[in-house]
Amino acid sequence: MRIGTAKETYRHDEALFDTPVQRWWLAGLFVAIAAFPFVADAYWIYLGCLVAINIASATGLNILTGFTGLVSLGQAAFMGVGAYIVAWLEINLGTPFFVNLLAGGLGAGLIGILVGIPSLRVKGLYLAIATIAASVILHFVFANWTSVTGGQSGLTMPPATFLGTALDQPDKLYWLIVPVTVLMVLGASNLFRTRIGRAFIAIRDRDISAEVLGIPLLRYKLYSFALSSFYAGVAGGLWAYFFRVVTPESFPLVMSIFFLAAIIVGGMGSILGGILGAAFMTMVPEALKLIVGWLSPWLPDAVALLSPVRTIVFGALIVGFLIFEPRGLAEAWRRLRRFFHLWPFKT
Amino acid sequence: MFLKDGVKRRTVLGMAMAAGLAGGMPAAQAADDIVLGGSIPLTGVFAFAGEGIHAGIQDYVEIVNNAGGIEGRMIKYVPEDTAYKVDASVAAFNKITSQYDTNFYYGDSTGFAKTISPELDRKGTILMAGASFASELNDPEKHRYQFMAGPDYTEMINILLEYIADENPGAKVAYVHSDTEFGRDPIETSQKRAEELGLEVVETIVTKPGSVDVSTEVLKLRRAQPDYTIFHGYVLAPIPEFINQAKQMGMETKFMGTFWSMDNSMVMKMGEAGDGFMGVMPYAYYYDDSDDAPMLEKIREMRPEYQSTAYMQGFLTAMLMTESAKRTLEAGKELNGDNLKAALNSIEDFDTGGIIGVPISIPGNSIPVGRIYRADMSQEKMVPASDWIRLE
Amino acid sequence: MTDWLLLIEVSLAGIGSGGLYAITGLAFVLIYKATKVVNLAIGEILMLGAYVFFGFSAGLALPFWLAALGTVVVAGLLGAGIERTMIRPMLGESPIAVFMLTIGLGSILTGTVELIWGANPLRLPEYLPNQPLFLGDAYVSSKVATAFAIASVVVLIFLALFRFWRGGVALRATASDQAAAYSMGINVPKVFSLSWIIACVTAGVAGMLVGAIGGISPTMGVFGLSVLVVVIVGGLDSVLGALVAGLFIGLLEALAGAYLGGEYKTLATFVLLVVVLMVRPYGLFGTHEIERL
Repeated sequence: MRIGTAKETYRHDEALFDTPVQRWWLAGLFVAIAAFPFVADAYWIYLGCLVAINIASATGLNILTGFTGLVSLGQAAFMGVGAYIVAWLEINLGTPFFVNLLAGGLGAGLIGILVGIPSLRVKGLYLAIATIAASVILHFVFANWTSVTGGQSGLTMPPATFLGTALDQPDKLYWLIVPVTVLMVLGASNLFRTRIGRAFIAIRDRDISAEVLGIPLLRYKLYSFALSSFYAGVAGGLWAYFFRVVTPESFPLVMSIFFLAAIIVGGMGSILGGILGAAFMTMVPEALKLIVGWLSPWLPDAVALLSPVRTIVFGALIVGFLIFEPRGLAEAWRRLRRFFHLWPFKT
Repeated sequence: MFLKDGVKRRTVLGMAMAAGLAGGMPAAQAADDIVLGGSIPLTGVFAFAGEGIHAGIQDYVEIVNNAGGIEGRMIKYVPEDTAYKVDASVAAFNKITSQYDTNFYYGDSTGFAKTISPELDRKGTILMAGASFASELNDPEKHRYQFMAGPDYTEMINILLEYIADENPGAKVAYVHSDTEFGRDPIETSQKRAEELGLEVVETIVTKPGSVDVSTEVLKLRRAQPDYTIFHGYVLAPIPEFINQAKQMGMETKFMGTFWSMDNSMVMKMGEAGDGFMGVMPYAYYYDDSDDAPMLEKIREMRPEYQSTAYMQGFLTAMLMTESAKRTLEAGKELNGDNLKAALNSIEDFDTGGIIGVPISIPGNSIPVGRIYRADMSQEKMVPASDWIRLE
Repeated sequence: MTDWLLLIEVSLAGIGSGGLYAITGLAFVLIYKATKVVNLAIGEILMLGAYVFFGFSAGLALPFWLAALGTVVVAGLLGAGIERTMIRPMLGESPIAVFMLTIGLGSILTGTVELIWGANPLRLPEYLPNQPLFLGDAYVSSKVATAFAIASVVVLIFLALFRFWRGGVALRATASDQAAAYSMGINVPKVFSLSWIIACVTAGVAGMLVGAIGGISPTMGVFGLSVLVVVIVGGLDSVLGALVAGLFIGLLEALAGAYLGGEYKTLATFVLLVVVLMVRPYGLFGTHEIERL
């Protein structure tokens, strides 16, 4: 059982990780993340990288949807913008990867602002539909601006290089992808200790009151779009380095739905939620594959059922969490923690 | 009727897979097994092909292993389902290659083949083939460790064009293709060939992929008055409706397709409209008994019911892989990408046992051979409309 | 020289397929009007309708009328089921949460269809007439024309129900003022169920027609995206808007496809969507107050 946490300064109260225990856990987590590639085999490292990329993008969407209350179904398309920019720069200019990633993020952020402009006129669902339109239009641009995007066959790019080493393997890319993701996640957590982040939350909770409090709505909504798309762009850039081929069909609408599902399942408006959700949704198909493997001796049809069952489970998770646990895995996690904090006394 | 078929097929498939995928855990690999890994689209939009490919590879591997393997070494086939998604396919590749010393790999899509190509170059130990006939992959310089068991999409269209130029010199040709990478692949490149052959390309129509209403496109086609209309980039829809409406308008054009829209079961689903539908097919059909074909007989013996053209594709791919492994081992060389590819390219006038009706050679990444077949609805079969055509 | 005949033929084809957009849009609007739910799964419900029809007519080899009737019944049950198990528990939640829920619903429906019928494209048995049809010199696909005629009948039934049937009146009352409807003794939850049932039946019928023309596959749900454009352009809560915009979007797609190329079809509609959102977000015939969601 945990007893009172005495906070003596506001600084302390505002700190991201406010108890020594939390900091120890965090240190432990970092050690585990750093040790992971030394103990896991190539396949698990591959999955680890994929989870990290998805976490980065889901965190971005969480800023927009979870914290600012603007639903977007364009996250995959913004990732596409970042991926194309990174691929184009890598192929044509050969600039270092951090420059490319930054450019990818900024480019996607600009497009995000453009897409956010309708929020001048429309809100809520209308805005969500506007983002669907944006992803359709961006898909068209990817597929038809052949001189830059390579048209339908897309761009194939060389690997990122760091100090002369080609980062062409998941076990090497891990050291690029995971640190970038950690930085972005920490950045997002810190964001909500600043004026901008708090303004986002105010807008989500009641936009009219936020405006009364002196928050220029349009500007802050555009900030949110820009930030969220920046995250998507960087994640898309990482994605491009990871798969090294970018085609218009790499970023379909279902991928945007995937990210939306990730933050619903994980918990909207919680950084931890974005992380848990993205990791969970990436691992569910793997878990299903395992279950099907176990079942196959008794249920010979199991393998053929895998893909439809995956689609159903995906939808059922969205529906189930919205109805039964609208605050997602993050809330379940908090409940679990509370249980141990109060143990052996009951709440 | 259909439902029952579906279930039966699934049961067969499932039982087959139970052995291969049990637990998703690495089954024991004997030290000198030759490993053929595969990203196979057993589920998802490409499942109809994946099931066939899977069965084809499996059967050929079984034939080889029953005959004592290659130089006494058994072949181990390790498939993994991908649902036809590139990321799942890459994941499967990473999983299989991290668990086995893989020598051969079967990839399921153009996107995957392109994605994994640099990785194949880096590893240098694997020879890969796959379900993609993308023209882009037919470049031995760029894709050193890949090949395709048939003509690439441009070559397929070129085979059609040669047939047209032969049957009706100076004919007018129209293309109808889907707005996908698959659909766009051969269009520009083959237009040049059409001109060289003295054919006139009068119209190129792009459609959205999938089940869509094509009435406006048919209207455009009618204005162009082509003698031949070539579909590419589809599996089934919207070809039947297209033909249907064109016939209603009294159009005389002959309709043609490429490999993936040519499977017997797909063409038969077109119903009445499909009668006379022609297309290029690099392999003999399951029921083809016109040539001397010991392998086809063997297949019919192993599987008494109809097997798709995708089955033939998987079967032949496995055959060519085994052949190159055999040649490499016979020369006393190590099994790596370079040696396997060199052995593959040394294949000349090779007898496929009737899977392809003429002896084949593989000078590069493809086998530029095919035959024109025509749908005969009265027999519910595809019947040969030409002899085997070999591109120079 | 402009080919006027082509223009006329293309326009007729476009309006013909627009009829299908119109009735699907109608289903969408009905749900929105009564329950304020933006149902993104409408395309998938339509797909399910087509597959159920396939199951009855090809799988069980029932005659057309029985199969169609069966489809209507199954679609209605589906509507009731969805409303009871998924929409009702979300009463009082933010519209955005319900909107996301329908995305999940779409995924469940797609998976279910793949589970039962597989992912391969299929063809419905031919039940629409296949003789060529000429209006003057202009060719019209008889399938599209028949589908248009059926769609028109559905619309008429729909409007008649709204006008004369007790349940229809209750529906309209609930749509215009929920609290007042309650106080007048209208069973509002029942009206919610009713609206989902009617909407799903309408979408199911649309699915039968769309499937008869283009064939069926689990990816058919993308039809719903065009319908989304239709209802936004027409106004989310306007029956008239759905009808007019449905025909208009059909026409626009046909013209874009014929004169620009197939890849421009979707682009044209979504560009129109963006323009409408910027200029007239409540749509051509929608109510202004929607802006204050």
